[in-house]
Amino acid sequence: MIDWKLVLEAIGMVIYATFVGFIFMGIERKAMARIQRRVGPPIYQPIIDVLKLLGKREAISHGFIYDFGPIFALGVSITALLFIPIANFHLFSSNADLIVVAYLLEVPMLGIMLGAMSTGNPYSAVGVQRGLLTMVAMQLPYGLAIIALAQHYGTFSLNSIVALQGIHGWSLFVPALFLAFIVFDITFQAMLGLEPFDIITAPAEVSMGPMVEYGGKHAALLFTQHAVQLFAETAFFTVLFLGGAGNLGVFFLKQLAVLFLAIFIASIFPRFTIDQAAKFFWKWPTILGIIAVLLTMGW
Amino acid sequence: MDEMKIDENGNGRVMEQENERTEGYDRLSYPLKEFKVFEPLFRWARKKSIWIITFCTGCGGIEMPPLMNARYDLERFGMMPNPSPRMADLFLITGYVTPKTLKRIIITYEMMEDPKYIMSHGSCPINGGVYWDSYNVVKQLDRYIPIDVSIAGCMPRVEAVMDGIMEIMRKVERGEADGWKRYRDNYEWYRRNQDELFGKGWRKETARRWLKWL
Repeated sequence: MIDWKLVLEAIGMVIYATFVGFIFMGIERKAMARIQRRVGPPIYQPIIDVLKLLGKREAISHGFIYDFGPIFALGVSITALLFIPIANFHLFSSNADLIVVAYLLEVPMLGIMLGAMSTGNPYSAVGVQRGLLTMVAMQLPYGLAIIALAQHYGTFSLNSIVALQGIHGWSLFVPALFLAFIVFDITFQAMLGLEPFDIITAPAEVSMGPMVEYGGKHAALLFTQHAVQLFAETAFFTVLFLGGAGNLGVFFLKQLAVLFLAIFIASIFPRFTIDQAAKFFWKWPTILGIIAVLLTMGW
Repeated sequence: MDEMKIDENGNGRVMEQENERTEGYDRLSYPLKEFKVFEPLFRWARKKSIWIITFCTGCGGIEMPPLMNARYDLERFGMMPNPSPRMADLFLITGYVTPKTLKRIIITYEMMEDPKYIMSHGSCPINGGVYWDSYNVVKQLDRYIPIDVSIAGCMPRVEAVMDGIMEIMRKVERGEADGWKRYRDNYEWYRRNQDELFGKGWRKETARRWLKWL
């Protein structure tokens, strides 16, 4: 038997997330432009870009895996999105969805890498190398931040974490979890692919990295994937540290706060090289993460 | 200059070079479908989101950074420099073109996905400019690749470049920026001119050396 209400809610949530994700991408570009004292594009610019990419006449393909990569990435992003309790929509929520979401948010990058490697372009290969190294480097602090959270609340369920934050206040204001917040925010920059960790797509060095061979409709798929991913990641951050929300409006405002934090950090820092990024991730965020885990163990 | 007289469709006497066509480049043979209902929407989107491939030749490249900066911010039109040829729409030929650069330009242009546009800066791509008697500058670029908008001047100032950009946006919206269609239809003619300059089989000999992964 099919739960039609759940199906409708899931479809509505995917459409809402795609739209808001595009608007977030537009806000990102607009805010960056305003910080650099430029006028900047309109905030619906990413939607125009995707329309244009869909309107391309040609679709160059390099084989099955090349087509499969973006679809795989988009599918995983949507799955991750449906596991997160967004406002009062608890779609796929279950007992251990913290672990599921934490890992599903990492997987789309693997899909893009899969497609990128099948093109055989050397720039793609360098980009993929950098991407995998960044992923390996950020896993450790990311995991430590999540362990600290799970230990403090004694549960792996995102629903319970939201409910507990409703009673005891946001986890941002718990001293031990504030350290976890800092660690998570640093890895968040790398997850969004923003400075100082935009090493993967570094346009001036490796010409878009893994995306260099993607054009036209494939690129439109990747843009959509990025929009859903952006929405899911800001939603995950909001749920973990800003206490979730009762309705979509408040949730949107909290996501916006998270996004602006990321934009402000991105607009003042230059880019790390890949060795510096790995060294950085394994030093400061890891130390802070271990302290956070120790603090949540004792008190 | 008698090869200039060949008719618009590229038919006529160039057809005897049919065997050249099969050698490497067959992406031109995909069917050209038009979705009449969505075409105005796509034209609007194409106009509002032109991505420039970052390939600068000659002296005009130095005129590009002011266009991106706060004063003449190009991004308010949705234009964006993009290093990947697959995603880009607009090719800026910024200045004189030597045969050595022209090889790279042709290969990059053919990598881009339709629809694609070319804008040339300055008088050098039009008629050679100050290099009118140079042995190593391509005098009339329009014979080798189709150009949609040319900006005259040596060098055109940023305001002139902005004017050219507005012109190409108007042309894209009206569907008149059809350089990619001309290249498709008159491929034999363009190909013959290119082969005259570089010698036959230059794609195989030189392009494969840089693009081993193709």
